[in-house]
Order: sequence, then C-alpha cells, then structure tokens
Amino acid sequence: MNKLPLPLVNLLRKPGRTLALALLIAFLALAVFGGSVVVLSLRGGLQSLEARLGADIILVPSEAQSKVSFQNMFLQGTTGAFYMDASVLDKALEVEGVEKAAPQTFLASLKADCCSIKIQVIGIDPALDFTVQPWISRSLSREMGDMDVAVGCKVEADVGETIRVYDQRCKVTARLEPTGTGLDTAVYCNMDTMNTLLRAAEEKGVSHRIESGDSVISAVYVKVRDGADIDAVNSCLNGHIRKVTAVRTRSMITGVSDSLAGISRTVTILIAAVWVLAIVILLLTFVLIIRERSREFAVLRLAGASRGMLSRMVLRESALCGLLGGVAGTGLAALLLFPFAQLIESALNLPYLMPETGTVLLLAVGTVLLSVGVAALSSVTAAYRLSRVDPGTALREGN
Amino acid sequence: MKKSMIPAGVILVLSLVIVIGEMTFLAPCLHEDGAFGPCHWAGRALLGTGCVLGVLAALALGVKRVRPGVYLSALPVCALGILTPGTLIDLCHMSTMRCRMVTQPSMIILFSAAMLCALIGAILSARERSHHE
Repeated sequence: MNKLPLPLVNLLRKPGRTLALALLIAFLALAVFGGSVVVLSLRGGLQSLEARLGADIILVPSEAQSKVSFQNMFLQGTTGAFYMDASVLDKALEVEGVEKAAPQTFLASLKADCCSIKIQVIGIDPALDFTVQPWISRSLSREMGDMDVAVGCKVEADVGETIRVYDQRCKVTARLEPTGTGLDTAVYCNMDTMNTLLRAAEEKGVSHRIESGDSVISAVYVKVRDGADIDAVNSCLNGHIRKVTAVRTRSMITGVSDSLAGISRTVTILIAAVWVLAIVILLLTFVLIIRERSREFAVLRLAGASRGMLSRMVLRESALCGLLGGVAGTGLAALLLFPFAQLIESALNLPYLMPETGTVLLLAVGTVLLSVGVAALSSVTAAYRLSRVDPGTALREGN
Repeated sequence: MKKSMIPAGVILVLSLVIVIGEMTFLAPCLHEDGAFGPCHWAGRALLGTGCVLGVLAALALGVKRVRPGVYLSALPVCALGILTPGTLIDLCHMSTMRCRMVTQPSMIILFSAAMLCALIGAILSARERSHHE
C-alpha cells in the first residue's frame, strides 16, 4: 500500500467515507446517463415513426377508428384487421394532388405457432409500396417470393426458419431493423401471400369478406404531390371516397410528440434538480471532511508538504471519488436500461428506439468525465480553505 | 465474521430472490388458456438452479473447510442459470412477451451477480487458507 499514491492511500484508509462520496456521485451519474438515454431513445422512436409512416395521409375504412385504435397499431403493435374494397386505391389515385398511393392489407393471426401470441401480418405491394418496402430492402436485397415473410425485429424468428400462420407455413427471409414502434412486432409479406393467408383464415372461420366483393385491402397510404395542400387533399379524399376515412399522419404523430415533449421536460427538470441538490451536498461534505482532517493536513504541512501539494491532493482524492462514482453510476444505469429496454418501452407506451452504440459510449464517457469534474470542482472551495489554515493553530485547536 | 463468508451471504440472498422471483414477480408468461409454453419449462429449470445455488451458498456459510471448493462449484451453476433462458431452453418467440421482457434479463443479471460473488468468495477463501498455512 506504501507504493500507492497518497490520495489513493487516503481513500483506501477511510473506505466508509470513500464509499459514501462515491455513492452520492454514482447517484448523479445514474440520473444523467439514465435520463439522457431515455430521452434520446424517445426522440429516436419519434423520428423512426415519422420515417416509417412515410405517407402524408392514410385511408382506412370508416369503422377502423372505432374497431381498433388505428394509432395503437403503429405505436404498440396492437393487432387488428379491417377491410375495404380494393377499388379505393384507384379512387385515391384519381384525386387531384395525390402523387402516389400504396395499399396494405392487415390480418391478425390466431395464436401463432411460434409464440403463443397474436401477430399482425401486413401484406404490401412491393411495386407500389413506399413506406415499408424501403425498410425491407435494407435487410432483403431481393423481392419477397410467395409464402416468404419478413419479420419485425421483435419477432424472435431467424432467417430460414418457418412460422405458421393459420396453418400456412411461411419462410422467414429477413429480419428487419428496429424502428422502436409497433411495426417491429409485425410480419410482412406480399399481396399473393396475404391472399393465401386470407383464404386460410376464411377456412378457419375468420371472415374478412365485405359486401362489395372479395378483393380487399385494409389501408391506402397516400403521398401528396409537392406543393399541394395536404389538408385540401385530405378533405377531397374524405369527400370523394365513401365509407372511408382519410387520416393525416401528422395528427397521429402530434399526439406522440406532445407526450414525448412532456416526458422530456419532466426528465430534464428531475436531472437538474438532482444535480443542484447533489452539488450542494458535495460542497458541504467536502468542507466538513476538510475540517475533520485539519490536524492530518497540519501534520503534513509540518512534514514539509506545501499548500499547493495539499490542495492538489484533495482535488485528486475527490476526482478519484468522482471517477469511482461515475463509473459505478453509469454501469448501474446501463445494467437497468439495456436489458430492460423492452419493459421500459411497454411501460411508456411510446415509440422507443435506443441510440446507436457509438452515441451510448460517448454519453457514458461524457457522464464519467462530468462526474469527475463536478467532484473536483466541489472540493475546490475546501482545498482553498485548506491552503489558508495555519498548521500551528490547527494542531493547537485540535480540530 | 470472516470476509470470505460475505459473498456466500450475498449469494444466498440472490438465490432466494431467484427462487421466490421465479414463482412470483419474475415468473415467465402466463398463458390465458393454461397451456405451458417453452418459457414455463425454462422457468422450472431456473427454479431448480436457484435452489442448488442456495444450497451451495448455505454450505459455504456453514462449512469453512469446503468453502473454496463450494465457491468454485457455484461458478458453473451460475453459468447454467445464465444460459438456461433463451439459449439452453427456448423462450416465447416475441420480444414483447413477459419471459423475454422480464424473466430473461432479470435472471441473467441475478446469476451474473452471483457468479461475481462466487469468484470473489473463491479468491478470498483461498487467501484465508494460504494465510493459515
């Protein structure tokens, strides 16, 4: 132990005091790192939702709004199915201002063979689709064949495995990148596969038939031409196509965005409050510790240590405490946040997409550096007071 | 109390959390129709592994002579506990299911913590033994 530097020896000599200081700083680091990761994940989720929706307007059957919360399908992956005549796609394309439109068909499976839970199957037309297809293309370079499916990242099925939907065997050809939204729990296929699955569902007694005919779709995603008034196109679509509701995607995102802003504000205020409180406690703690150790420092002064040496020693001790606490707090936050990310997402009920590894590492290093800095800064006052203490007086007074 | 007994105490507490947790707040998915999914059997295996770990911790606490060996034998038991959910025994195939969301991460953390304690315990008890000799 004699070979260790003096600040480290001092810390090891009083493990209780060191542990208490480190715990306080660990609490700070946990609040900063944990809070920042949660806020960044929520922002990432919102951006991902915006990117994935891709369309300006979504056309759904009028009953869809009451039958199943359409927004929940995107945010929480709630399963649901509603149908309208496939001719809605052509009618939408006739409306002035519509640049492109793509259909999607939804099918909620019965308990899937793989997971004892209902999964949402979404049929897309790869030639027309401009919302899901670009996302699928990132994981699958070729086109999806018949009875091929691409699964969201939360469906635990590997590429090459087979999943059964309504007793139909579908081959997993791609696992998609995470989006932090309900889309991660869905399974995607082309329209031919979807028609096969719809027929299989029909045989199992799950009817999707509507009065107007057999050719059905669930939603039409509409991209409005540049410069066109989206609200005007939305109204036109609502007026032009019967029994269909046109929903602006912006209105879906606004609700999420408002909730997100509220949570971000609360987390930021909490972090600030924790920091102010902890800095005050640290300042007081260091002043008290220095007072308690005044005789020890007086002896060191008499042994030849300069005021500068003692101040540096105090700063180093507190910086070491900061390092220990910072690493412990950041580690604990990581241990809670990353394995339980899915639980946090479920509890928040908002899109939640973890930042990339590089960002997380930067944030962790930043938090540790901040902890070291704050701990060292908190002891500056104490170190200054220490440099002004007369060793003779300190030894005579005995404190 | 000897320093080398402290990790055994912590492991005992952790094994209690594992056993009680598996039956209550960390239990895998409960299926509405009463059917047992693969995660149920992973849970049963974790329960057994937790019990074995608890017995080993009690042995380490009670019998000084065998302490280093017991700590070392706890290491593969912990490894088994870490590998059981999802690797050795399959879980439900959806990340949003309770077994993947709660049981798996909790058990991995608890068994990892127990493994770290067992490692520290093995080092401490080996040191104590060498001091005696």
